[in-house]
Amino acid sequence: MIERFRDLWAHRELLWNMTVKELKVKYKRSVLGFVWSFVTPIIMLAVFSLVFALLAKGSDLHWFAVYLMCGLLPWLFFVNSLMQSVGSVITNAALVKKVYFPREILPIAAVGANIFHFVMQMLVFFIFLLIIQWHFSIYLLLFPLVLLLEIVFTLGMSLFVSAANVYLRDVQHFVEVATMAWFWLTPIVYTMATLRGVAGRYTWIYLLNPIANITLLWQYAIYNPHRYGPSAAYLSLWGIVFTTVGSFLLLFASYYYFTRSERGFAEQI
Amino acid sequence: MDYAVEINDVSKMFKLYHENVRSLKEKVLLFRKRGYERFWALEDINIKVEPGETLGIIGANGSGKSTLLKCITKILYPTTGKITTNGSIAALLELGAGFQPDLTGRENVYLNASILGFSKKEVDKRFDAIVAFSELERFIDNHVRNYSSGMFIRLGFAIAINVDPDILIIDEVLAVGDEAFQRKCLERIDEIQEAGKTIVFVTHNVEVTKEICSNVVMLDHGHIIKSGNPREVVNYYHQVMETAEEGSERGTHQIEITGVTLLNENDEPTTDFQTGQSMKIKVGYRTSEPITDPVFGFSIDDYRGFTVYGTNTMLKEMDLGTVDGEGYVQFNLKALPMLEGRYLVSVAVHSRDEETVYHWLDRYVPFDMHSDINDAGMLYVPTEVQISR
Repeated sequence: MIERFRDLWAHRELLWNMTVKELKVKYKRSVLGFVWSFVTPIIMLAVFSLVFALLAKGSDLHWFAVYLMCGLLPWLFFVNSLMQSVGSVITNAALVKKVYFPREILPIAAVGANIFHFVMQMLVFFIFLLIIQWHFSIYLLLFPLVLLLEIVFTLGMSLFVSAANVYLRDVQHFVEVATMAWFWLTPIVYTMATLRGVAGRYTWIYLLNPIANITLLWQYAIYNPHRYGPSAAYLSLWGIVFTTVGSFLLLFASYYYFTRSERGFAEQI
Repeated sequence: MDYAVEINDVSKMFKLYHENVRSLKEKVLLFRKRGYERFWALEDINIKVEPGETLGIIGANGSGKSTLLKCITKILYPTTGKITTNGSIAALLELGAGFQPDLTGRENVYLNASILGFSKKEVDKRFDAIVAFSELERFIDNHVRNYSSGMFIRLGFAIAINVDPDILIIDEVLAVGDEAFQRKCLERIDEIQEAGKTIVFVTHNVEVTKEICSNVVMLDHGHIIKSGNPREVVNYYHQVMETAEEGSERGTHQIEITGVTLLNENDEPTTDFQTGQSMKIKVGYRTSEPITDPVFGFSIDDYRGFTVYGTNTMLKEMDLGTVDGEGYVQFNLKALPMLEGRYLVSVAVHSRDEETVYHWLDRYVPFDMHSDINDAGMLYVPTEVQISR
């Protein structure tokens, strides 16, 4: 495993190039190019602000659109990373069959490209927040830690599904469906207050979902729920510990699984 | 001592599944009876390549050459056995694998080189050489999507051969480009050899191995059947390949060629001749009816089908009249000019207007030329060297 890691490190430049390639290729032949990573969150913000200004009048959440973005942008990062990496080994079949390099570079580069998009979108989001003179809380300092946690979990999932998909193509379709259900198991469009009203003492089961905990952390870090919407203020300590330990374990297990199954890639695809 | 590449008892087994079971439903339904056959693509391969050596791997299609290269480059993992390599490896298994059509030639050079394991710094140093080698100076900032297939391959080759690996692995890619480009590739390989780098390569163009290899291994159905001196292995390769296609014949059989014998100067039948020796080709025939004015002929071809020499009784302005019953025609060749190699004799008998072929035995009798002369080429031309000072 340490040897594998050294090999990956030796190929760090390739990893960087592949990530840049993912980014370049995505926007090649489009007029606006990189501008799209900014345009998407701006339009999302505009639409949500308008819709929820009209529809969600009864909610106790101020700036519901901001609340939504706090959960939605990290969620999109997670889903897009997963969707892009699940097929990453197969779509690069020509390369995998012909050239040796640590294959984990493929899913990691897919995640890397999405990290870039996410950071860009967050940048736009923060500019918007500064314009409307948002009051941040001290929890904003959690930002880098939450980002790290989400990246670890996302990488773990991505490595696992990309390797599994080589042997069983159903994984790709399963991920598509599963993430749809997963979205509604995550407090993005509703609040923990609503959820607890429904789930009651079974809330702990809900909190076994790492992405739910990560989303709550994002909302705490950016949305400042104590000021703007007390019903969204919820964190579970054991949920966070579970998520942190679980994410790192998942990453190690997935990486191990990936390097084990990687030996058969060239034969399977 | 450390070998550049050391292959110890390597075997590779592929499972050939009867049906490609890839979806969950099938996997569950066919859980117990996923029938497959074992196919051993390589069995007990042992090869040691010393640093600075150039090893050629030859063999018929399906003999396991490419599988072996893929095992060396860690694309495939051997089922049993172990392969160790010392030094950085660049593998040319497919040119331009990983080219992104939507990136420019320049961007692709850097991407492709990093796939081969070389850093930006190393590529920076060689960028001009790569572009010059590919002859794509004018197009390097165009999208690769607009390249012709020739340009695509030239760029791929230029990258791989100009980065500076300790071990270069080449699979059947020398056959690309026009003759000038091929020449350039061989010259570059020469340079790489002179720099003391190790090369392992697979090719069907076995004559090239004679030129550039220090060692050749011949594979057949996953086994090494011959290895060592390039000339010997290549000659053996030709023998094996010929037995597969030899003996094609056609004709009306109104005159049947009953036997072809090669005789040396002492009139002893043999298939081994020395350069400069004489050869007699004795063609026995039998007719089923009287035939007027047939023409007998022969030709000597090399393994590529290139005719070294041929003649017939018509070209020699002979008239055989009416032929009936049994007999033989003998061609006496005074001195064979061919150097070392394997050749094939074809014999034929046909009508003077060549409308009717009575009997044609194509590439029928093989023979070997041996020579103490170390001169280059196919034929020996007696040469004296004169020096004046």
